[in-house]
Amino acid sequence: MRAGPLRAAVFFVVLAALPGFGLAHWLLTMLVFTLMFAVMSSAWNLLGGFAGYPSLGHVAFFGIGAYAVVLWFQHHDITTGYEPFLLLPLIGLGAVLVGLPIGAIAMRTRADVFAIVTITLLFVGQTLAFNLRDLTGGAQGASVVPAPFPADGYEIPFYDVLLVLLAVSMGLTWATMRSKVGLSLAAVRADEEKAAGIGVRVQTVKLLAFCVSVGLTAMVGAVWAYYEGFIYPQFAFDPLISVAMVLMTFLGGRATLWGPVLGAFILELAQQYFAYSLGASQFYLIAYALVFLVVILLMPRGILPSIQDRRWRRGRRRIVDARPPAAGHLP
Amino acid sequence: MTALLEVDGVSRSFGPVPALRNASLTVERNSITALIGPNGSGKTTMFNVITGYLRADSGRIRFDGHDVTAARPAALCRRGLSRTFQQARVFEQLTVEENLVIAGGFSLAQLFGRRVNRRDRHRAAELIDEFHLGDVADLPASGLSYGQRKLLEFAAVLMSSPTLVLLDEPTAGVNPVLMETMEHHIRRLHSTGITFLVVEHDMTFVMRLCDPVVVLDQGREIFTGSPDAVRENPAVLDAYLGA
Repeated sequence: MRAGPLRAAVFFVVLAALPGFGLAHWLLTMLVFTLMFAVMSSAWNLLGGFAGYPSLGHVAFFGIGAYAVVLWFQHHDITTGYEPFLLLPLIGLGAVLVGLPIGAIAMRTRADVFAIVTITLLFVGQTLAFNLRDLTGGAQGASVVPAPFPADGYEIPFYDVLLVLLAVSMGLTWATMRSKVGLSLAAVRADEEKAAGIGVRVQTVKLLAFCVSVGLTAMVGAVWAYYEGFIYPQFAFDPLISVAMVLMTFLGGRATLWGPVLGAFILELAQQYFAYSLGASQFYLIAYALVFLVVILLMPRGILPSIQDRRWRRGRRRIVDARPPAAGHLP
Repeated sequence: MTALLEVDGVSRSFGPVPALRNASLTVERNSITALIGPNGSGKTTMFNVITGYLRADSGRIRFDGHDVTAARPAALCRRGLSRTFQQARVFEQLTVEENLVIAGGFSLAQLFGRRVNRRDRHRAAELIDEFHLGDVADLPASGLSYGQRKLLEFAAVLMSSPTLVLLDEPTAGVNPVLMETMEHHIRRLHSTGITFLVVEHDMTFVMRLCDPVVVLDQGREIFTGSPDAVRENPAVLDAYLGA
């Protein structure tokens, strides 16, 4: 087995086995949130990393997924507890259908303008959730029946589902990188005008990245709402969730398979740890920011690309050193 | 037979500034036509209008018997009209080989196939060989020198099997050896039936290689003729040297 698939197999086997060791609830909760952000960063990376379209409005789709699951189960029963999970593909598909026209319009802009255009999505979503009171309960929030899972290991089904979503997201990323979709996205990121000029299917691959990305994000939103049981507009459409996806991806390395996942594991665990150890004060947010600043100062392109660069340069130096001086040239 | 490319009375302004004023030119099949003129005479605007990167305000453009006045760059590329840019534009994160592969075009179904399959590799290998890019084929294009980028962009243009290639200053900023290499490639491809339209400032290069030469001044063509005729034409001398 080659190194890449082996690494992925070990990663997922270890994560799948973790809950079997009887971890404490607080630890499992931490891991559930870490996985949520790992899936979302990985999904964000398809659009913000590979296509080079830095969306700041992804949390709008997170909120859509969250309210979708809550609204659906106000009219349907939950018996086994797994019904909301079975609904996930449908919620993802719904988000894709909502995202298609939005993406088509928003992606007429690029770079910083695109980021600003997408921020409006988040506020539109939040405003709708606050004001469509009959549907969402407005500021009062809305609830979904708690899952009938045993208290001992309540988190495990959520954990497992998120692990599957992470595998799906990373699998799609891997397939993208190996296909001409990835090649086309890299061309779009580098020089979209030129790419369009030589006949690259710019619109198709951009929309594809957007739709897959927001579909996965909505599914995570649905899992989150079910896990929390009670949701409010300001938390379902929390700008900090959008920002976290971006920071995690930048930290680990944009347009890489493992970067966003690594970023999520570092930042989310760091945040939870600092929140726990620095207690009720808001100092944990400063500590969290410091982690991010230090890493980005040392590795401006993100952790994985910086390591790859260093390794590549060392390898190249070795090749150059080993090369005999060309005839006629002074050594 | 009609000319391969006919530009008829094209105008284009940027705000109040006219860049092209009722300019016309024709490129005959299997010629190496030069487009010269002083700075700001509208050469690059002409290129952008022909290749669909800019819309003409008025006038018509025909390529290979079809009206392509409002065609987009991608449609023109499929019809066999390709170009390079003044500042070579290559995809920096892609390897040299990938830069060639993506310029070859592919169908919607192929989009989901392998990033670089055996057929792609085979198609790119020939150009990598001809343009002596073998040593750097697997490196990201960001690591290439300026001259190598120019060569790569030129090679990539050929991946779509064009009939007409527009070169925007192929020798600007490159060393004399590379200039000879460029000339060699243009001559070789010309002999296989590819037509060229070249914007160039280096007059010795133009005089050696091109016939006819079209001279542009202040947004309109002022003369078309052989290199020798251009050299002696008073209107051209006037445009370059000023009255």
